[in-house]
Amino acid sequence: MMWIGWGLAALLLALLVGQYLAGQGDIFVSIANPRPLDEESMVVTLKYWGFAAEARQPFVTPEADHGLCDLRVYTTRRQMLVAIATLGLIRPVTVAWRAHAGIQPLGEA
Amino acid sequence: MPIIPIGESGRWTNYHGTGVCEDAVRFGLRSGDAPRGRDEIGLAAAAVREWLEKARVAGKRVRPLGAGWSPSNVNICSDAWLLHTRRFNRCFRIAADDVRPGVDASGLMLVEAGALVDEVSDKLEQQGRSLWTSGAGNGQTFAGAAATGTHGSMVTRGGIQDHIRAVQLVTPAGVHWIEPAAGVMSDAFVAATGSTPVRDDDVFAAAQLPVGALGIVPALVVDSVPKFLVRPIQNLRKVECAALDWLAAGDFRRFSKAYALDRDPDFVQMIVNPYKPFKRPAMLRFLYAEPWRANYDQATPGQLGAGYDALSLLGRLLDDYPWARGALLQFAMKMGYAAGPDVDDPPVHGTWGEGLDTHRPLADLFNASVTIDRADLPHVFELICGVYTRHGGSTAVTLRFMERAQGLLAPARFTHNAVIDFDGPRSARTAEAYARVVELLDREGVAFTRHWAKSCHLDAARVAADYGEDLQRWRAARDRLIPDPAHRAIFGSAVLDGLGLTG
Repeated sequence: MMWIGWGLAALLLALLVGQYLAGQGDIFVSIANPRPLDEESMVVTLKYWGFAAEARQPFVTPEADHGLCDLRVYTTRRQMLVAIATLGLIRPVTVAWRAHAGIQPLGEA
Repeated sequence: MPIIPIGESGRWTNYHGTGVCEDAVRFGLRSGDAPRGRDEIGLAAAAVREWLEKARVAGKRVRPLGAGWSPSNVNICSDAWLLHTRRFNRCFRIAADDVRPGVDASGLMLVEAGALVDEVSDKLEQQGRSLWTSGAGNGQTFAGAAATGTHGSMVTRGGIQDHIRAVQLVTPAGVHWIEPAAGVMSDAFVAATGSTPVRDDDVFAAAQLPVGALGIVPALVVDSVPKFLVRPIQNLRKVECAALDWLAAGDFRRFSKAYALDRDPDFVQMIVNPYKPFKRPAMLRFLYAEPWRANYDQATPGQLGAGYDALSLLGRLLDDYPWARGALLQFAMKMGYAAGPDVDDPPVHGTWGEGLDTHRPLADLFNASVTIDRADLPHVFELICGVYTRHGGSTAVTLRFMERAQGLLAPARFTHNAVIDFDGPRSARTAEAYARVVELLDREGVAFTRHWAKSCHLDAARVAADYGEDLQRWRAARDRLIPDPAHRAIFGSAVLDGLGLTG
């Protein structure tokens, strides 16, 4: 029976490490013809396994009147460790985006 | 009001993450909806001049920012006012009666300073025109790329700044419209932009490549050629050492015949593994220009072979496992090179603009280069690779070719130039190895220059030695445009002051 226990422990550890590594991957959404402005970012903290969410600052960007150019969602190592240490109760995620500069029609000089 | 404040004072990081402006107050220059371009840039220039005066009164330095692309940190200045131009990005067609008699307006376009190279390409192609060269990426603003002498590898062309025919420049003392002595735009057009004409060859050659130290550039007049197609060939080949002699002599046809097509190539680039550069396959890229036709076999930028930035992904491994650098670098080159069509693949074609791509920021980027006389290539290339690898350089080495570029401070200042790039992951060892390359060239007595936008660690003494009389002419032009030293200081920064361009 002992080896089954060790096997399960190893499996759980592997699952945990896998989650730790996979959580740091980027989710990147981009449009085909980017005209990006500077990157802005904020941290959204998911609480109680996603039953609640809280942004540290409101989702505002000063120059988004032409929409967003691209968006990246990722978790830093520190954020992932916080999520693991709290058993997923607190799950901080970074959301980074670049606003679109706009595509202007060709004019006459 | 074309200038608006953006957010609160804080940190600003440049595109590639190589520099940070602390306590930066950010402003944005925005395009308006004026029906004529001349009216729009006139309004913008007046607003910029007013903004400069406010900065002067506040005792702040200023920095114009396009895409913030340059890793050399010429775009970095702390405790300063930053003017973001990316939202000032309209382009305007120029009519025959906008130019002086004898000037062909058909290829000219008025470009606001925030327009990306990509946007300029698109707008020219809408009119059946094209840029004739540019850098490997298209995410820089055209004005920013020109200000630092960005170049590609079109073997009979110079830098991107060669497209410029006129520059509007704002300093605290006035709004200048700078052209060669022969003139380009009509007096009525220049007057409508609210600018004072400066028709002088030296001032124009200074303004073509200002390194951000001559004032704020709201607009440019850009020249073009009729739209054309390029057929790319991209492959991995073992290149024999003797090929350096062909390249040094400008026999690109022979090089192309040996490794790609038996035709005159318009673009030649070779990326080698500096660990045994002639024993391991090099990544070769050729472009062959063909006349424009509408029914071409259109391809994506990836299929056209744009970009090879995946090289940076193995940076840490290269630094941590020095014994495996050669093999790791070769693996990275093989995996990271966009799969371009080889000689036997079905041909694909694209316009010049379609063959460029905007890559994501390259975290932990190191990039540096030396530009040498092409004739020196056989003599020094293996020596460069040897010293670079002995000291732990962990990037691929790229060879590009170009003719002398315009602008007094153009790094491509030899009649025929070979540019050797060291682009890849940043590490102390790689920076040290690049420094040894510089020492080697000095020791061998080989003349060379370095790119303004790359991490080449130039200083004022070196700039003075490299550019000699041309630097004196550039400074004379600067003093003519900005006679008051206090005004010149507004455009300074730690980096630009260190280059001796603002004093």
